[in-house]
Amino acid sequence: QAFPLPSLPRKQPTVLVVCGPAQNGAIGLVCARHLRSFVGQRDPRVGLGAWPMVGCPGDPHPLPTVCVPPPQVQLINDAYNAVVDAVLGAEAEGGEGGGPCAAILDALKHVRIPIVSLDVPSGWDVDAGSSGGISPDVLVSLAAPKRCARRFLGRQHFVAGRFLPYDVQKKFELNPPPYPGTECVVALRAPR
Amino acid sequence: QEEAQAIDQELFTEYKFSVDQLMELAGLSCATAIAKAYPPSSFTTSQPTVLVVCGPGNNGGDGLVCARHLKMFGYEPTVYYPKRPSKPLFEGLTTQCQKMDIPFLPEFPAEAALIDELYGLVVDAIFGFSFKGAVREPFGSILSTLERITVPIASIDIPSGWDVEKGKADGLQPDMLISLTAPKKAATHFTGRYHFLGGRFVPPALQEKYALNLPPYPKTDCVLQLT
Repeated sequence: QAFPLPSLPRKQPTVLVVCGPAQNGAIGLVCARHLRSFVGQRDPRVGLGAWPMVGCPGDPHPLPTVCVPPPQVQLINDAYNAVVDAVLGAEAEGGEGGGPCAAILDALKHVRIPIVSLDVPSGWDVDAGSSGGISPDVLVSLAAPKRCARRFLGRQHFVAGRFLPYDVQKKFELNPPPYPGTECVVALRAPR
Repeated sequence: QEEAQAIDQELFTEYKFSVDQLMELAGLSCATAIAKAYPPSSFTTSQPTVLVVCGPGNNGGDGLVCARHLKMFGYEPTVYYPKRPSKPLFEGLTTQCQKMDIPFLPEFPAEAALIDELYGLVVDAIFGFSFKGAVREPFGSILSTLERITVPIASIDIPSGWDVEKGKADGLQPDMLISLTAPKKAATHFTGRYHFLGGRFVPPALQEKYALNLPPYPKTDCVLQLT
C-alpha cells in the first residue's frame, strides 16, 4: 500500500528484506514471500534480495549466511527501491547492537532509499525510541503500536492487528481504529 | 483429485509449509470472498448471521478459520461442528472461535425452514477435495437438509457430497464456490452465481510444474473472482 508497483522508481520492483535472527526476521521472511507473490508469476523483472542473518549477537559460532551482499550503502541505494527492516523487534533489548547486526544497522542509517520497519525500527529502544538510530519512512506496527512509535517521524504508520480477538483488545485498552473492508492493515494519521 | 493431492503434498514436503499456515490463508480467502459477494448490508436478516457447517477433516478446519475472519469482518457466524478431530490444530481453531464469542450449536437445525429463518448464508465446509466414497452420518442428513434450504450456500473448495471430478447433479447446488489453490474438475459442473479462487500461496514454480494457468490475482487481494 505504501509503495504500489507503478510508483517504484526503478525498472525492476526490487526490495531488500533484511532479516534478523529472531521473530522479527521470521516475519520478514513471510513478508518477502508475499511480496514476491504480489508481482505475479514468472515475472523476469523481479529481483528480491533476502539477507537472512544467522548467528547474530552473542552467538559464539555464527553460521554462514546465505546471499550475502556486503552492507555497502551505495550498493543498496543503487540496486533496490526500498528496504524492509526486519532485523530486531520488540523483544530485543535496547542497545543490542553487537556483531553483524551493528554493521547492517549502521549501513541502514545511511541508505537514501525508503526503509519500512516491522514493528520497531531496529536498534530503537522499544519504549524510549532512539535518537541517532535508523529513520524509517514507513512503520508497520504489529498487533498494536509500541511506545517508541511516538518518536516515529516517517511518512506512513500502519497497524497490522486485525487478528487480535476483542477481549485481548479490551483487556489491554488498545482501541484500534476500524479496519476498512477486509483489509488487514489500517493507516494511522500521519504524524506530521 | 490426484493432482490436487500431489500439489498439497509438495507444498508440505518440498516447500515446507505447515498445515496451519495454508489453512489460515485458505480460511481467510473464503471469508474475504464471502465478504465481497455477500456484504453485510445485503442480508435480509436483521443481523448478518451465517451458519458455518464444519466437517471432520481439513475442509472443516478451513471453515473454522473462515468463521473467525467473518466475525472480524462484522458478520455473526454460528458454527456446527459435530465430528471434531482430537488434534491440536483443530482444538486450537475451535478455542479461537469460542473465545471470539462464536457460538457452537449443540445440534443441527431440524428443518430447512429454520435455517432459512435464522441465517442469511450457509458456509459448507463439510467435505473437501480428498472426499471419496459414501457419506457417513450425521453428514448425510445434514446434506439432505441443506439441499432444501433457500438461503445461499457458499461451498469451500468442493460442494460437499459431490464427486471431486464428476460433480453430482442431484446434490447440493451452492450459490458460491471458493476454489482453493486451483479449481477442481468438479467446478465445471458448478452452476451458481459466484466462483472465486482463493489460497494465494502457490509458488510460481509449482504453478508452472502443474500447468495450473491461473489468472493473475488483482494487486494484493487474496481472492480472485472467476465468475
